Amino acid sequence: MTTENRFRVGVDIGGTFTDIVLLGDDGTLHTKKIPSSTGDYATAIVDGLADVFAGTGLTGTGIDEIRHGTTVASNAILEGKGARVGLITTAGFRDVLELRTLRMPRLYDMAWQKPPPLVERYLRRTVKERIRASGEIETPLDMDDARAQVRALVDEKVEAIAVCLINAFTNPAHELMIKAAIEEIAPDLINCISYEVLPEIKEYERTSTTVINAYVMPIVATYLKALRVGLENADTPAPLLLMQSNGGLTTDRAAADRPINIIESGPAGGVIGAQAIANTKNLDKIITFDMGGTTAKASMVENGSVMRAQEYAVGAGIMIGSRLLSGAGYTLKVPAIDLAEVGAGGGSLVQIDGGGAMQVGPHSAGAIPGPVCYGNGGETVTVTDANIVLGILNPQHLVGGALKLDAERARTAFKAQVAEPLKLSLEDAAHGAFRIAASNMIRAIRAVSSERGRDPREFTLFAFGGNGPLFACEMAATLGMQRVVVPPSPGLFSSFGLLYADLEHHYSRTLRRVTSEADPAEIEAAWAKLEAQARSQLAADGLGPDAMHVRRSVALHYKGQSFDLVVQAPDGPIDAAYLEGLAEAFGAEHERMYGHRAGPEEPVELVSIQALGIGMRDTGGVPDRVIPSRPEPEPGPPRKVYFGREHGWHETPILRRSDLSSAQTGPCIIEEYDATCVVPPAATATLDAGGNIVIQLG
Amino acid sequence: MIDQKIDPITFELFKNAIFSIADEMALTVFRTTYSAVLKDNMDYSTGFADGAGRLAAQGLTLPGHLGSTPTAMASIMRHFEGNINEGDVFIMNDPFDGGMHLPDIFVMQPLFHKGERLAFACTVCHHTDVGGRVAGSNASDSTEIYAEGLRIAPMKLYDAGKLNDTIMTFIEKNVRVPVMVQGDLRAQLAACHIAEKQFAELVDRYGPEMTKAMLNETIDYAERLTRAALKELPDGEWSFEDWIDDDGIDIDQPIRLFVTIRKTGDSMMVDWTGTAPQVRGAINNTLSYTKSASYTGIRSVLPQNIPNNEGVFRAIEVVCPPGTVGNGELPAACAARGLTGFRMVDCMFGALAMMLPDKVKAAGDGGNTGISVGGYDADRNPFVYVDFTCGSWGARPWADGLDGNSHMFANMALPSVEVTEAEQPISILAYEFMPDRAGAGLYRGGVPFHRDYRLEADEATLQVRADRHTVQPFGLYGGSPGAPSENWSNPHLGDKAEPLHSKPTMMFRKGDVFRHIHAGGGGWGDPLEREPAAVMRDVRNEFLSAEKAVADYGVVMDTETWTIDAAATSQRREEIRNKRNWSKVPTVQRGQSPTKSSPTTEAVEVRETS
Repeated sequence: MTTENRFRVGVDIGGTFTDIVLLGDDGTLHTKKIPSSTGDYATAIVDGLADVFAGTGLTGTGIDEIRHGTTVASNAILEGKGARVGLITTAGFRDVLELRTLRMPRLYDMAWQKPPPLVERYLRRTVKERIRASGEIETPLDMDDARAQVRALVDEKVEAIAVCLINAFTNPAHELMIKAAIEEIAPDLINCISYEVLPEIKEYERTSTTVINAYVMPIVATYLKALRVGLENADTPAPLLLMQSNGGLTTDRAAADRPINIIESGPAGGVIGAQAIANTKNLDKIITFDMGGTTAKASMVENGSVMRAQEYAVGAGIMIGSRLLSGAGYTLKVPAIDLAEVGAGGGSLVQIDGGGAMQVGPHSAGAIPGPVCYGNGGETVTVTDANIVLGILNPQHLVGGALKLDAERARTAFKAQVAEPLKLSLEDAAHGAFRIAASNMIRAIRAVSSERGRDPREFTLFAFGGNGPLFACEMAATLGMQRVVVPPSPGLFSSFGLLYADLEHHYSRTLRRVTSEADPAEIEAAWAKLEAQARSQLAADGLGPDAMHVRRSVALHYKGQSFDLVVQAPDGPIDAAYLEGLAEAFGAEHERMYGHRAGPEEPVELVSIQALGIGMRDTGGVPDRVIPSRPEPEPGPPRKVYFGREHGWHETPILRRSDLSSAQTGPCIIEEYDATCVVPPAATATLDAGGNIVIQLG
Repeated sequence: MIDQKIDPITFELFKNAIFSIADEMALTVFRTTYSAVLKDNMDYSTGFADGAGRLAAQGLTLPGHLGSTPTAMASIMRHFEGNINEGDVFIMNDPFDGGMHLPDIFVMQPLFHKGERLAFACTVCHHTDVGGRVAGSNASDSTEIYAEGLRIAPMKLYDAGKLNDTIMTFIEKNVRVPVMVQGDLRAQLAACHIAEKQFAELVDRYGPEMTKAMLNETIDYAERLTRAALKELPDGEWSFEDWIDDDGIDIDQPIRLFVTIRKTGDSMMVDWTGTAPQVRGAINNTLSYTKSASYTGIRSVLPQNIPNNEGVFRAIEVVCPPGTVGNGELPAACAARGLTGFRMVDCMFGALAMMLPDKVKAAGDGGNTGISVGGYDADRNPFVYVDFTCGSWGARPWADGLDGNSHMFANMALPSVEVTEAEQPISILAYEFMPDRAGAGLYRGGVPFHRDYRLEADEATLQVRADRHTVQPFGLYGGSPGAPSENWSNPHLGDKAEPLHSKPTMMFRKGDVFRHIHAGGGGWGDPLEREPAAVMRDVRNEFLSAEKAVADYGVVMDTETWTIDAAATSQRREEIRNKRNWSKVPTVQRGQSPTKSSPTTEAVEVRETS
């Protein structure tokens, strides 16, 4: 290994595996999959890196930076292992956090339990004060009252205090007084003030977001510190950058201050990687499809931009084919890549219900006991067992060889549990499970396309994750999509995708003004303040002015509407014409999303303004062609694969990715270290310049 | 079990596809609507019927609409069979001819393939206003349908693709917010359009004959699942009664709800005979709404995976004599019949709890309280503020009742306090749980909350639809009833604070404060068997006072150190046991009876057939 070759590292912690990729500037790619040792992620990462160093002769000083997607914050929430937080609110509103929106995510479910509040009622205290919607103070806060409530929480030994007062988004005076009281009484205690965390209207969303920030802050800080120390000890002084839920990177220091931004860090890397590859291939419309062992996720990239949701819920579970049923999990109002998720993976159980229909999922065999073919005690057949019966998966072992499979066991069980009761042949029963699994996952794709007024047939399906390339063609064909793209190392793509990301910081505040009546100077001043915040954070990240880009966006609605749309806002000075332009852009987006818009007489109201600071690091970008250091596995002999009644059994060649350098017509199967890609009959597969498999459906 | 001609895999894929169409129709309405009623209360439904008008798939929205689409479809078939053509779209809201109450407007479109009618796309949305004497068309104090707004008989809104402008003009001139109502009608048409497009793709894939067979099979499949699930339940007959406080017109005249469920083999009969005659106030149900309430009760004890369609209803027969509050006849006013629907669901829970003691919850707060504040600002611009809130569930046989969670019959979300204050001349002064109001039990009822509203405009009309004000939420199997609801005018003024009845309509002036306190949920099981630690936790969280902990649960604790005095607790529990002297655990506890004519504690008839 030459010393000139500098490396960047992407690390993604998943549920079962932690994936590490190291990319050199000459395109060399080292990869490492290690079990996620849940007790101590930081050690797992440092040890994993040390392994790669030992195997390649690399050293820590050869690493330029480490980019990291982590579930440490979301796990703290899901497992209820965050900090002991106290909350101070306005008298009369002690229960905003626990009342939520009153809605439940399931109908007819007598056993529904609300997620327990992250701050129990006795740790929620109120102060006598009131600010009106206009920002005017109706009841002034008494500083002694504030001190008394802080002391009471300190006596309860809280580790952090969150503060969220009614209408504080319009006037932070009282929240700042309470902050002063906290700093006076307990200077070492973490405090999170709603005006600083999220100066936006809607008390439940703001309270919940502020509380979550306080709740995960100690755990995230401890984790990042341990990781930093571990890396130092391994002589790896490279800067540590964290993936945020919105798809941009942030520094470890900024992440420790605003951990709410890294809660959904995990799935973002793959989408950002897909976005970058789509841009190099001039694909203006792709749908990403990421399928692993238990869940499948879809998102959309259009005209080079990922879709972002303005709000989401952590631990809301799996979308059940409908986004109507909100109310689960913990609400966070920070931008995040908009993903639709369904509970479908290799482990999904295949069963027959009381009405005689075949059901696939939502229950899963999980990692333990796993599918029947693993021979670890799994009794109920799964999607992976169906893929074994069909010949799609290698009947001896999963590629890589670590996991031996018992194909006969899968066949026997499938026959008894599914084929015989339904009076189907074994292969038709297994192929049925395959198609039903695909049709369940299609709901996720519809959620990000047709449910938003987009026609999936105009999109390319970009598939990754261990099982994504296996199902991609079946799903694309059902939806009428013409093309499937599978990137290199698809099973490690979530960590590889991290290498494409830029630094991003997002700021917003509520500013409700009717566009035709607003004072442009006021809006310009408010926006300038957010833009300055973004620049100063990027400067703190170590970027020079040339590497900074600040973009505006804005949420608007027709006055009286109960929901908003976000549109991009141009740079430049703000005057009446500028505001009129925003109203017009909103009308156009409304028409596109919903199929209609109101007439010009309908007033458009600005709801909040947003500034996005983007920092382009000079280390950014990925070479056009990567060269994996791991040799491709020797392809096995051809095997019989069943492609449904229409096509029947085919003697199917098993190929390596590199075999596609000349175009191949399906059927064929590409077996790789971390994934299996199916090319059905009549489809054509080839490699592009970037090493991506491009499948054109027949 | 599946029709032998149909391959089970193809069937599952088809079923996925049509429910996905119904859901996508629902999302289309959700995305395109202007109105907060549709967004926050999800007060709309979408569905998909076969060519004969039989409901094959209903989208996941409002349980209150479960029984509505079949009734509405039947009306369209009755009026138009033989005259249903491609490009037609039907409209209807008449409660006496297939509708539910006037704000619920149905829009349905037949779907054709090569001239053959194969399906109907169906939508129903609660519109913000359909005219009538009170803004919002929701008033509980109208006494005849003619005061409630525009009544639309089943008609063709589009005739062979041509819009009937006359209907649109009548609507436009008779509602207070025509832009919003027409916008929401467009949302319904958009949903039908989505269904038309996706259904055409489905027919292309499967062919018309297979499509017909599989729509039929979808209904049969749901029937099989329902019957298989009903078979698992015990056979027999169980009755339950409960009372609505009054109709807001004849104050303090309780209104009896009485249901008998008969379960035989794989079918069930729900019989509301014995329910009170229809009333003057606007809380009379249509039969379709009584069916929705009955189905909702039963669905909550059946497995979750049964699809919503006519197959389910084949196995469950619902009867309610005409002229009763559960099946009003012309000119019954019905705008606020939501209240009766909620209370019928709770009455169903009561009957089902007799059948399945360890599966069903006690009574909650009785469904949502509707509060509307309407008036005109200085420039004569109207403002209408409406909110619906509810939150305390009855205790379950395995867990406490939920605190601050929607009733199962209407899964609404409450808009934010800050948004309300930014948009309306109203301040919300408090929105918080109230202690000592949940029914005690081994599992306690849900803790209710209260909301305080202050008017910031010069004057307005305040109209409230509340209940459980005199008739408390019942507790089950030893659990205590929940505390009744309360309404107050100016509760902050001490002596001048004035208690109000459950359904006031009154002038409200600048600075006036109105407070509504919800009823507490009923408890389940003997309070003396509740874990002392759980009692202490409620005291620590100020859901329960230390005094009530001693009085109701016999739990004695030190609130400085948060420790339980075990000896004092068992002594106190023994004293309570001796004093109450139960010969057997009371099945139902209702607290104070509303009037002399009302029933005693043991009002339940349980007859088991073998």
